[in-house]
Amino acid sequence: MQDFKESGFMYGLAAMVIVFVLAQSLFFLIRAWKHGKEVGLTTSDMKKAVTSSALFTIAPAIAIFATVVTLASTLGIVLPWIRLTVVGNLQYEVTAAQAALESFQDGSSIAVFGQNITDPKIFAAVSWVMTIGVIFSLLLIPIFLKKIQSKVGQVTNNSSGDNKFGDIISAATFIGLISAFIGNAIAGKASTIKQEGKLTPVGMGAGVMSVTVLITSVIVVVVLQALCKKFKWEKFEPFVMPIGMFAGMGMAVLMHYVLPESISTFEWRPIA
Amino acid sequence: MNKTKRNYMDATHTWGRIFMVTAICVLVAVPVAICIKFDAWPTFNQVFKGLLKVIPIFWTSAVLEIIVYAPMLGTGATYLSFVTGNITNLKLPCVLNSRELAKTKPGTEADEVISTIATATSSIVTTVILAVGVLALTPVLPALTGEDSALKPAFDQVLPALFGALGAGYLAKHWRISFVPVIAAVIVLMFDGSLGTGTLIPICVVVSILAAYLMYISGFLTGGVKPENPLKGMKKKK
Repeated sequence: MQDFKESGFMYGLAAMVIVFVLAQSLFFLIRAWKHGKEVGLTTSDMKKAVTSSALFTIAPAIAIFATVVTLASTLGIVLPWIRLTVVGNLQYEVTAAQAALESFQDGSSIAVFGQNITDPKIFAAVSWVMTIGVIFSLLLIPIFLKKIQSKVGQVTNNSSGDNKFGDIISAATFIGLISAFIGNAIAGKASTIKQEGKLTPVGMGAGVMSVTVLITSVIVVVVLQALCKKFKWEKFEPFVMPIGMFAGMGMAVLMHYVLPESISTFEWRPIA
Repeated sequence: MNKTKRNYMDATHTWGRIFMVTAICVLVAVPVAICIKFDAWPTFNQVFKGLLKVIPIFWTSAVLEIIVYAPMLGTGATYLSFVTGNITNLKLPCVLNSRELAKTKPGTEADEVISTIATATSSIVTTVILAVGVLALTPVLPALTGEDSALKPAFDQVLPALFGALGAGYLAKHWRISFVPVIAAVIVLMFDGSLGTGTLIPICVVVSILAAYLMYISGFLTGGVKPENPLKGMKKKK
């Protein structure tokens, strides 16, 4: 018998969500593109944004796809696919699924993440918890975004001359974000999900591999940027950061094959 | 603010709100449809017990995310990214990279346009990759990301590779204001290595802004010349 979680009906629901996401993205893209020309952006500037964003997205998107598969053993492939297409991320979805499953722990059903759900009622409860859990930001943004943006504008535009202070604060917020991830690559532990009752690491924590990958990406980008500047390779610029990212990932594969496992997988603080 | 800018931004808010409300309907339609189709109705208590565990965490982080990420993303990109998710690991890096390439000034309309284009492109590519993946690649996925796949180490290191590449240019360009938040991140993680990025990012952003502000008013960023405190100016204007 066909698994109800992967029935044609479920695929139909996924199609509805995907059509919506694509329609919204295309609408905003076309609108921004038209307005870009009015505010003096060149087609080349905008094409660069499209090319480099598309390239930059490929590898993380494949990693997201892998998380869909992680969730599929419990929830089938379609619900995780829907959830990760709209708002979702792995930690959220696993936590929400686990919380919903635990509310059924009355001895009558299997209720541990990692095992296949066969009861439609549990499946429906999981989908409700996942949905309501993530819906809050969608409720807040229409109400508060305009106010937040105008407050931020007030602070950053409130400096004399060339708005140097606004530029610095804008840079500082991005640097805060990047620092968190760089800090994680240097000193973080692997993130974990609770699977079949115990903490299981997802991916790797900071160690020999993450630091080498980080340094490789940095060096490749610095060298390529210097070359672009020296030889005026403007058309190559959108590819610099994606290439840096792929070079880092390539280094991880190389290390995996060249170095002994005890070194390549060495983490400063492994999950026990 | 000129008239075109106000018109474009106002219209962005209007469209953004329409799409947000539609997104909520589409999202809620999924569990509703599941209940009706499979005639499976969990009790209110069962759903509520599950929600009690996630709402305190998820809803608090939703508030934090909006406060921290919305100003970085810009208006159009915020409406888009909060619907499609994966903000820190996809949308923000794309926005930042595209702004650097286009050399737009923060807060300008050109900056807003480039951010929206970057976010929309990233959303479309992610959605297409997920769809192609589920429909065509599920049987071969283990070959790409499975435990014994040749490419597994590469996918385990997506984030260090991504932020190494992104950070290289950006942090070097703004090195004076970069070292404090990086050191702060490492110190915080020394105390709690498992701290999720959802908590670590707001901490680092606050430290980074505070440090940059102090450096600015002390003249460290303006060649030793002490500028007027911009926050004092704001109070006066009020």
